[in-house]
Amino acid sequence: MKSMEASKLISFFEEDLCIFHLRSRKKMSVLTEIVHHLAVNNKISDEHFIIEMLKNRESLGSTGLGNGVAFPHGRSLAIKELSVLFARSASGLDFDALDGKPTKIFFLILAPSDKGSETYLAILSELIGLIQKPAKLKNLFEVTDYQALVKILEDKDL
Amino acid sequence: MRDEHRLLIALQDLDIMIKEVKDKATSKELQSLGFKLTGLSELQEAREKLAKKTPKGLLQRYEKLTEHFTVAILPVTGNLCLGCFVKLPTSFFSAVSRNELQTCENCGRLLYIP
Ligand SMILES: [Zn+2]
Repeated sequence: MKSMEASKLISFFEEDLCIFHLRSRKKMSVLTEIVHHLAVNNKISDEHFIIEMLKNRESLGSTGLGNGVAFPHGRSLAIKELSVLFARSASGLDFDALDGKPTKIFFLILAPSDKGSETYLAILSELIGLIQKPAKLKNLFEVTDYQALVKILEDKDL
Repeated sequence: MRDEHRLLIALQDLDIMIKEVKDKATSKELQSLGFKLTGLSELQEAREKLAKKTPKGLLQRYEKLTEHFTVAILPVTGNLCLGCFVKLPTSFFSAVSRNELQTCENCGRLLYIP
């Protein structure tokens, strides 16, 4: 697996694709909320296919990896371009996380079907590496604006 | 877009996911990142359900194509077949064709206008 430079990773995060106050409180409604946000921002051609794909992905095994973070991901014909969405739930919610704890932040990574899985795997791998540090994670749980998010992701000392 | 075409698109998405899980390198990578991939049988069940709903002729055409291609059905963006990158004829974009599933004359993949 090729590693990715931090600046390249951060370039995938768009201000319009960040949700700092998720309204949903349940697993399926969170997926619907974040997919709808992508549709509003013209990143997908059809919400239904993406929601179905993400539901199927969750039935393969929860993407809630624990420690309050989930990484829903996958490929679909209805995805126009590689997209990364960040979402945060202040109170956290039950996302069937592997450790049973509430999930507070979500990194959604979607790739078009005509691209290989390596496109999103590289981003996944890099993000998972990045959030291993408890201080970074703690800051992400509390982030409420885009500039702060980028700062936290960039900060090598965190 | 017709309902039967929508079924085929969902089927293609699912087949790509199943193929990824079955691919040793990809599943090993995902597992090393901490993902548990224990629900393959659930995916296969969902696939069976979708396949049953899809009209037989269409399903056969799709399955024949998947013997050669990972992605057998594709949306058209721009004026290219994203499967083989051949330029599509202008007749492709006529009003009559818009709701129909079409075939790339070069590679044979199924194409639709999203
Ligand atoms: Zn073609």
